[in-house]
Amino acid sequence: MRLDVRALSYSFGDKKVLKGVSFEVRPGEFMGLMGPNGSGKTTLLRCVMNYLTPPEDAISIDGAEIRSIPPETLARTFAVVPQSSSTDFTFSAYDIVMMGRLPHRKNRFAGPSRADADAVRGAMDRTGTWALASRPFFALSGGERQRVIIARAVAQHPEALLLDEPTVYLDINGQLEVMDLIKSLNREEGITVISVLHDVNMAARYCDRIALLSNGRLEAMGPPAEVLTPGVIQSVYGVEVAVRRDPFTNAVYVMPRSTATPAPRHGRRVHVLCGGGVGGPIMKALLDAGYGVSTGVLNVLDSDFENAKDLHIPTVPEAPFAVVGDAAHEENLRLVRESEAVVVGPFPVGPGNFRNLEAAEHALRSGKRVIVIAPAGLSAIDFVGGKASAAIKGLISSGAIEVKNLGEALERLQGTGG
Amino acid sequence: MSPRKDEAEPAGVDFPKLMRRRFVWLVTLAVGLLASVIVAVLVGTLGPIGPGIPEYITFSEALGAIFGLEGDWPAYYSNIFWDVRIPRVLLAAAVGAALACAGTAMQAVFRNPMADPYIVGVSSGASVGAVVAGLSGFATVAVLGALITPALAFTTALLTVFVVYYLGVVGGKVYVNTLLLSGVAVAAFLGAVVSVLIYFSGQQYHRIIFWLLGSLSLASWSAVAVVAIAAAIGIVLVFISSRDMNALLLGEETAHNLGVDPEGLKTLMLVVAAVMTAAAVAFTGVIGFVGLIIPHMVRLVVGADHRVLVPAATLSGAIFLIWTDTIARTVIAPMELPVGIITALCGGPFFLYLLRRNRLAGEV
Repeated sequence: MRLDVRALSYSFGDKKVLKGVSFEVRPGEFMGLMGPNGSGKTTLLRCVMNYLTPPEDAISIDGAEIRSIPPETLARTFAVVPQSSSTDFTFSAYDIVMMGRLPHRKNRFAGPSRADADAVRGAMDRTGTWALASRPFFALSGGERQRVIIARAVAQHPEALLLDEPTVYLDINGQLEVMDLIKSLNREEGITVISVLHDVNMAARYCDRIALLSNGRLEAMGPPAEVLTPGVIQSVYGVEVAVRRDPFTNAVYVMPRSTATPAPRHGRRVHVLCGGGVGGPIMKALLDAGYGVSTGVLNVLDSDFENAKDLHIPTVPEAPFAVVGDAAHEENLRLVRESEAVVVGPFPVGPGNFRNLEAAEHALRSGKRVIVIAPAGLSAIDFVGGKASAAIKGLISSGAIEVKNLGEALERLQGTGG
Repeated sequence: MSPRKDEAEPAGVDFPKLMRRRFVWLVTLAVGLLASVIVAVLVGTLGPIGPGIPEYITFSEALGAIFGLEGDWPAYYSNIFWDVRIPRVLLAAAVGAALACAGTAMQAVFRNPMADPYIVGVSSGASVGAVVAGLSGFATVAVLGALITPALAFTTALLTVFVVYYLGVVGGKVYVNTLLLSGVAVAAFLGAVVSVLIYFSGQQYHRIIFWLLGSLSLASWSAVAVVAIAAAIGIVLVFISSRDMNALLLGEETAHNLGVDPEGLKTLMLVVAAVMTAAAVAFTGVIGFVGLIIPHMVRLVVGADHRVLVPAATLSGAIFLIWTDTIARTVIAPMELPVGIITALCGGPFFLYLLRRNRLAGEV
């Protein structure tokens, strides 16, 4: 099944909902449709189903104009799974799945046949809903209902599934269950999937390609890693995000940042010594409080290096896994001297990054305020046989301010500043 | 089916058994209808079963009179059975079937188990026609008179439905909520018109009220023929749409996505239900509750699948009206009650019971 959408526009009265959207879906593909609320995703799906009549020649399936395809044929090509389904009437789950056989009936007099019963059984086995067959549909949980609706879609023996936010009302367990089921239908039965998805990480994890709609226009289209970039997401959703790789699936992983407006910049600069991810919250909190921020030496690939990059904070890079070299150390000391204060995060200290603690000593000697966020147990971060613990104790005894957490550190910075 | 004995077969649905069970239901109801017709014909003011007013006759006298055998009973026995009793029982069956079938279709179109065949204004429209016929004196004209009232009632019923339908359709789409509200508004308006006419009706008052409450006492073979033909065509059309109606109950978009044309289906069902109902109402007046209660009750027993619900409700409607009419014509013999009073007396409390029960079960 190949779907072609060419310059599709659609209006409700004066309101243009889709404005010249063009893309294609290839056979066997898992395509995600994304975009903010009101961007036209559902309208697009309804046009594909010819429920809303699209303009002539805007949509075709395997070269056939969608409007020329009889509804029953269309229902054998596409099976639709809506956000949620409900009815006031007491259908059993079995009745609901049997409705999927409607487009396959021989004539209007025909009731369900043995072959239909087999198709229903197969679909319900495939989706793990056979045990629910005789239960009333309305009495099922949200996740069970959605699986029954997917069973109905499977019983339709479609070439493609069209899903409109199939997991929106489900808990996290139900979400994964449903998405894994859809993915396996896609992989194992070769059913093409076109799904509206709200959750960017869900989309990144399951989709081969993503079409991102914004205000009725196709904003971006391609594999998740190409579409889900901080720049694109910022422009479409107006949210700042950081993008990472999921450590287990290697899928793109999007993390929204606070949408709170940072305090106005007041020109005071704080240098953060960190690593291993402990610096992220410190940098973000300082930026939100209006400080200028820089960091000490960070190895490329260190998560704090990624954090600093995402926050556009000047940092001193060092090669991955390498010991801090002289050039980097000198640069670190220069940034220390330019700062008003230094915050030492509870970062793991090893032979490679020990010189960051030397930079803190340098700061004390040059009269900068140094605030040490001390970990509960110093030994937990000491990977240099006591040398790091000794150095941190030394900092404190030579006048560094010891605090227990980030909040206290901010108070001390602000309290005795100005 | 599985030979494995160590693990229990998970709950599922045995398809052949399901189909058998449905078949058994329908055969049972069909046999029940046949039996009801036979027994109800024998029950009455003149019959082997009944109040015995004015007189009991024996089974052999009754059967002899029905089958035209020679015997020492008065000739009018045969006339009573063939000109009055049998057409009346058959009309009850046809009207009950038509109302229950139309009610089932309306509940599907409106996706509301509280809808009935009169929801789009058939009853109020027919009432205006019938009352006008009664007041104008046409109804008393010999021979033709018996057909004037039904003809006028049928015409005004369909006109009313047409107006309500027109109000509920915008840009080729049938909006069921708008339809429902226009039905209510038009019915209220026509109800007022009927009240005004009745207020000034004088001597005709009793006749008109009797018609409005619904009665099968004017049964005739021509009435049976008209209602039976309308009902038969209607029932077939509703039955072949039953799988489409199943899909429609999950919403119009879902129906479309399953290959059903929801607009065509809604329009067809509205027209079919209106014609069936108008034909019934024209001859019998407004018999309430059959079209509401029967589909509802049958759904509780056989489930919501219209493949079985439509025929089961149709048969049950026929049986129900045969027996309520039998009660109506015997309970205060030799007088009779309008059958609409009996259906309402049976149906009202039963409906409340269902409503309450479903509330407690968390449905509706």
